[in-house]
Formats: sequence, C-alpha cells, structure tokens
Amino acid sequence: MDLKHPGGVADVAEVLRDASGSGTRVLIVGGRRHIDRGNACEVDAELWTTQLDRLESYSPAEMVAVVGAGMRIGDLQAALAGGGQEWPVDAPDDATVGGVIAAGVSSPRRLRVGHVRDTVLELSIVTGDGRQVRSGAQTVKNVTGYDLHRLATGSLGTLGCIVRVALKLRPLPKACATLVTEDGGLDVGGRLLEHVPLPAAVVATPNAAYVRLEGFPEEVREQIAAARSVSGGFEVHDEERFLSPAPASPIVAEAAVAPSRIPRIVEGRNRWAALLGVGLTWFGVDDEPALAALRRGVAEAGGVAPVIAGPGGLGDTPLPAPDVHRRLKDAFDPAGILAPGRFWGGL
Amino acid sequence: MAHADAARRELERELGSDEVLADPLALRLYARDASMVEGSAALVAFPRSPTDVVACVRAAARHGLSVVPRGSGTGLAGASTPIGDALVVVTAKMNRILEVRTEDRLAWVEPGVFNLDLSVALVPTGFTYAPDPSSQQVSSIGGNVNTNAGGPHCLAYGVTSAHVLAMDVVLQDGETIRVGAEGPEAPGYDLRGVVVGSEGTLGIVTAACVRLVPLPPAVRTMLLDFDTVEECAGTVSDIIARGVVPAALEMMDQGIVRAAERFAHAGYPVDAAAILIVEIDGTPGAVEAQQAEVVAAARAHAVRTVRVAADEAERALIWKGRKSAFGAVAQIAPHYHLHDCVVPRTKLVEVLAGVYAIANRHDLIVTNVFHAGDGNLHPLFSFDRNVPGTLERVLRASDEVVRLCVDAGGALSGEHGIGLEKRAFMPLVFSDDDLAAQACVRAAFDPEGRMNPQKVLPDGARCGDFAVARAGSADAADAAASLPEGTWI
Repeated sequence: MDLKHPGGVADVAEVLRDASGSGTRVLIVGGRRHIDRGNACEVDAELWTTQLDRLESYSPAEMVAVVGAGMRIGDLQAALAGGGQEWPVDAPDDATVGGVIAAGVSSPRRLRVGHVRDTVLELSIVTGDGRQVRSGAQTVKNVTGYDLHRLATGSLGTLGCIVRVALKLRPLPKACATLVTEDGGLDVGGRLLEHVPLPAAVVATPNAAYVRLEGFPEEVREQIAAARSVSGGFEVHDEERFLSPAPASPIVAEAAVAPSRIPRIVEGRNRWAALLGVGLTWFGVDDEPALAALRRGVAEAGGVAPVIAGPGGLGDTPLPAPDVHRRLKDAFDPAGILAPGRFWGGL
Repeated sequence: MAHADAARRELERELGSDEVLADPLALRLYARDASMVEGSAALVAFPRSPTDVVACVRAAARHGLSVVPRGSGTGLAGASTPIGDALVVVTAKMNRILEVRTEDRLAWVEPGVFNLDLSVALVPTGFTYAPDPSSQQVSSIGGNVNTNAGGPHCLAYGVTSAHVLAMDVVLQDGETIRVGAEGPEAPGYDLRGVVVGSEGTLGIVTAACVRLVPLPPAVRTMLLDFDTVEECAGTVSDIIARGVVPAALEMMDQGIVRAAERFAHAGYPVDAAAILIVEIDGTPGAVEAQQAEVVAAARAHAVRTVRVAADEAERALIWKGRKSAFGAVAQIAPHYHLHDCVVPRTKLVEVLAGVYAIANRHDLIVTNVFHAGDGNLHPLFSFDRNVPGTLERVLRASDEVVRLCVDAGGALSGEHGIGLEKRAFMPLVFSDDDLAAQACVRAAFDPEGRMNPQKVLPDGARCGDFAVARAGSADAADAAASLPEGTWI
C-alpha cells in the first residue's frame, strides 16, 4: 500500500493527477473515524489529508470558519470555543472536518442543530483527475450556481478530495443537561418528544429513554420541568459532550426511516438506540446474516441501513437515477480511481 | 426544427384543450417572469398531474421545443423567462397539499401550492413550514424549491434546502426520479441538494416532501429604531456576537420605512434613519433571555426606542409593513429593480454606504429593506422607465452593486437566483474549472440541454473536458449587453 501525505492543496492535485494517469486506485483518509462506512473496496494507495489542517479564518461575528479539510475536530472546536461557538457535529476529537463531511455524519442533536450538509457553506475539492473546484460562498445564504458541495457531502471520497471548507457555526449553548430514565423506552421517549419544547435529542433504547436539553439556563430549566411532567424518575447529567448513543457491537448499522416507522423496525430486537423525531436508529448486530435480516425489515419500512462500524458496507438498495449518478461520477473521477465500488450502486 | 403547432395538438389531446395556450396574448403574458427580462414563448401548458408533466416534457422533446418550468412567475432573475422555441410548463394548477404527517414531521405538496397556504393549513397541527419569502402569499413551493428561497425566518431556521426532504422530479426524457427520502438519510449522492436552487434547469418538480418544524411555544417581535444606519447595522453584528441567533433580523432604511408606513400604517418611526425588526422565539425563558441580550446590544448602539409587540395583532402589524415593503414602493415611482446579493454581515455598513454612493452617482432613488442577519441585501432602485435614459442608468448602477458585493466577499444571489440577469457575472465569483464542473452537474441530469437552456451558467461554460471559453461579458458595461439573443429588457 502506497501512502501519500500531501502538505498542501497543490500537492493533493498532483497526487490525484498522477494517480489518474497511472490508474492508481486511491482511498482518501482523514482521521479514520468513519473509515468503515461504504462498501469494501480495493485500493493501491491512501491519500492522507491530515496536513491540510489550518484554521484559515474564523470570525465570531460572521459565525463562519474557513478550515483545511484535514483539521481535527477537537482542534477546531477548541478554537471556536474561544469565540463562544461550535460546529455542531459531535464527532470524535481525532476525526477530521473533511472526513465528517465526506461521510455525511450529522450530530445526534440534529433536532436542534440540523443536518451536517446544511452547515457546509462553501467547499473546495480536488477532483479525481486533479482539478480544483469550488462551489458555494462564505456567506450564510447563497443561490449562485449549482451546489457541488451538496454532492461532495456524504460522497465517501468518491467524487474528489475535500480540501477546504467554510462552515456555518452556531453559538455554544449556555446551559445543557441530559435526562435519563430507565422507566421505559419508546413509549416514554415518544411522550418526551411530544411534551418537551425544542429538545436537542430524544433517544429511546429497549428499556430507557433520555432527552438532551440545551439553550439558555432558563430554557433548560423549563425543559427539565416539562420532562418531569412525563416521568418522575429522571437522573440529570450535565456533561457538555453528547456523543452518538449507538450500542457497542461488532457491527453497527444506522437505519434511516421516516420517524413514525421506528417502532416497526425495532420490534423484536434488543440492541438499538433510536433518535426519535429524526428517524435514525442504530442497531448492534453480530454477523452479516443478522445484518441482512435487519436490512430486509428496514427496506420494508422504506429505509436504508448502511453499516457505520464493522463490515457490511452500505447495502444493495438500488440508486435512484443510476444514469445521473454514473455521469456525475464520470465527470468528477473520469479515470475511476477514487475508492472504486465504495459508494452506493457500486460507484 | 421546432414544431410548436404539432406539440400544441398533441398536448391538447393529452391535457385537454383548456390547458394549452398558444394565442398571441398568452404567449406575450408568459414571455417573462417578475424580472425585467422579456423573451418569447412558443407554447404554454398547464399540467394538472405528474402524468401531464411527463406528457409536456416528451412532447417538447419530440417537437424540438425547450422546456421552461414556471410556478407563479414571481421570480426576479429571469429563470422563468422563455427564450426562442420554448414550451412554458406552468405548475400553478398542481396546487394540492397531498398529505400532512406530523408523526413524521413532513408534508407532501404539489409544486403549485402557495407558500403561505401551506403555513396556514399547518397552523392547527402545531407545526409549520419555516421558509417564508416575502412573496409567500403568491409564490409557490415549486418556485421556492427551485430558487432555494429564503425569507426573514431563514436566519434561525435555514433556507429552503434545509426544509426539503425529497422531491419527485421529471427529467428531460420524461423519466421520473425521486431524490432524497422521507427518512433522514437517502442512498446515493445528494441529488436533492443540487435540484434545490437549480432554477428549473435539471427537471420539473412534481411533488415536494417538506420538513415540518414545531411552532415555537413563545414568539416576541421587537421594533428598534436608530439615528444612523451605522448604529443599526452595528447592532446586527453585536446581537450575533452575543450568542443570540434571532428567528429574524430585518433592517429597513428611512426611504423604505416611509413608503411602508404610508401603506401599512404599522406605526413605524418615519424620522429614524433605519429600523430593525427583531423576532425571537423559543420557550418563554429563552425569549426573555434573548430579549435582554438584544436590548443590551441595541443600547450599546444608541437605540432610540425599543418597541415590543404587546400582542399578536401588533406583531402582525409590524410584519405587515416589512412584508408589503416591495409593494409600497410603487408610491415612489412606477418601476423598480430589486437586487439580491449577500455579503459577510460585518461588511453591511460599508456595502450600504457603497450602495448609496452608487445611487447618488447615477441620480437614482435607492431604498433598502433586507435580511440583515444573513447579510442578504436587497437594494431597490425606483424609477420611471418611460423617462429616456433612466433604464440604462439603473442597469449600470445594478452592475456596480453586484461588483461592490462581490468585492466585499459576497455571493451574487442570496435567494433570488441567477437566471438570466446574473449569469454573465458568474465568472466574477467562479473559475473556469468551477463553472465547467457546474456544467457537468447540469449535463448529468440533462445531457441534451433541453431544460431551461441558457439560464444560470454563462455562455461558454461546458462540461466536456472542463475547458471553458470564458464568457467575456463579465467585463461588459452592463447586464443588458450580455443577455442571450432573443431576450431583452
């Protein structure tokens, strides 16, 4: 396995141009935290982005930061905390900005902070054949041409190497709390979703429910009071971090269905954590036959269940508009060197 | 060779003769949208179903017509202005709310549903659809999706893209694809994300699945007024820097305040240099906390008065003035040209000063009402195009405003789009490779270039080998010189 560790964007372009010329298959690697996502694929070289790690600009009054894609999440959040702000993704400290975007991983606080794709304002990629392409703008609103950054977000490094991004930030909450009850799972969770105003997350597991609250101190006190009207038995934790509540398991799949279908896909299962009101459920499964069975159930509920940790890939859900997908892939990676087969539909 | 007559006969059979227009008056009416650019249409069709839309697209392909999708025609950039042998597909009659599923926090709607009608229909559910462009009484969801529309409440809630989960889209060959999903993630590249804001150039949206958000438990609307534009704009940045992201943060200068007040009688202070409308929402406690911060920021910038709407009626009145501002300017002069560009919000003061200087230089009346929190400016030139030479001055001033915003680190458009009016400016903000890559996205959906051709991208932007013949018109004296043949202002 060949290793490339470019020091700048021009070097990334040179590496990919050469790779396209020689037919060298390349996996783009950030912090390796989301490396299990995507189908297994054979490559000849890895391109590490971790030297592209500069915070190029940060203006708290704009709530925008421009960063190199190889910057570590922990470093970025520490810099932003100085301005009282955050990039709301809740990824591990050693994950990279580019990796989080390429994997399209949103915060579990998504009810309140939204999808990661809506925080990517401007993005530069180097395409498979080494061209630098930018889209978007460093402003919070922008309708100027086609949003290539939408395509790159969640593309698992199959359209290009993300090198630089402008991120939409938000103020750090002034108070936060996580309430946990062993009082029941979906049922209590459902009532929390209904009765607690504007929670950041409501999670249900087979026998527990918890709710993440954040905002102004007065607001969090009001939310706690509302939660107590649902169940008396809450323990209150005030940790600042709120990481993914996915169960530990050899294989973790992330099912995405319309929120009301969560009860249907968890029925009869005992290792899961569901993000209510959002429609994501993380399942722990032991092996590939169990994964296949899970995927059948999720597909019947109209969803998908890609693996986020362990083997198993994305699943064989057919792509919508396969011709459009193929033409996009061919335009951005004409030699087909970027992680061939890693993406949906074998792209 | 286009055969509009043959296409008309075919569509009359498939859609019914009432749904197809080809008389000179109709062709004239549909030869433009709400922009200043006029083109020409060969045929106008009013599909009532996705099947009708497929019939339109196929008939256009068979008979050599391009397809120009159109919602309510309120677009301000010319994206729905047809050029040459074009079939205008008007989705206004596809106006049903198909289903509302609060348990899934979504609603499926046809593209012709008016934005405000959806919000009103949702009120009893306790949820809402957040994007609220000022045109919401008449602009359609289909048009909103295609321009990635904004509106005052996008500051806290995000633009249209953040609120569209999925869409059914008819492509140029008549195939229907579903992009996005009802669930939180969808397989494949985010085609949903590129269709939103694509100005009808990738396909025709026949249904949109929009995200519903809970109505906030409490809302408070405040009106702040200032002696100087600088203090008003400075308050905007200060509020954000204090860690408050209001639901809306709208600024109006004296000219527009006076026009709006004469129209809406909202009690706006007509002697102020500028006013801010600040809306905050959340739990009652969150609203109190935010109000304290907003007032502190305003006091630090010498606010004259802080008016807090006492009830829903007063709140509605404050918003009425803001939302009817563009109509109210008819009192100033018979015509107006409304701009839309975005700058970093810390550059608002300097860009506004530049806008006033440009207007002075060209002897034009300019007023400003805009989404200050987003840095989204809407300079509005009022004029009478019947006075010889005036239109030319407006166009030159407009050109200068665009360059001013770009030089300040801004984007060409915040929510109106590029359409025809701004495509020649695209090389100001994008490189040849950037534009070629964008052309590839377009070609991936529409390899033959039949959907709304000549919009968004400048002449010369091609996918192919990414080589672009740069459109030299970016340096042309005014936007009129760069319009495609067959269109005029």
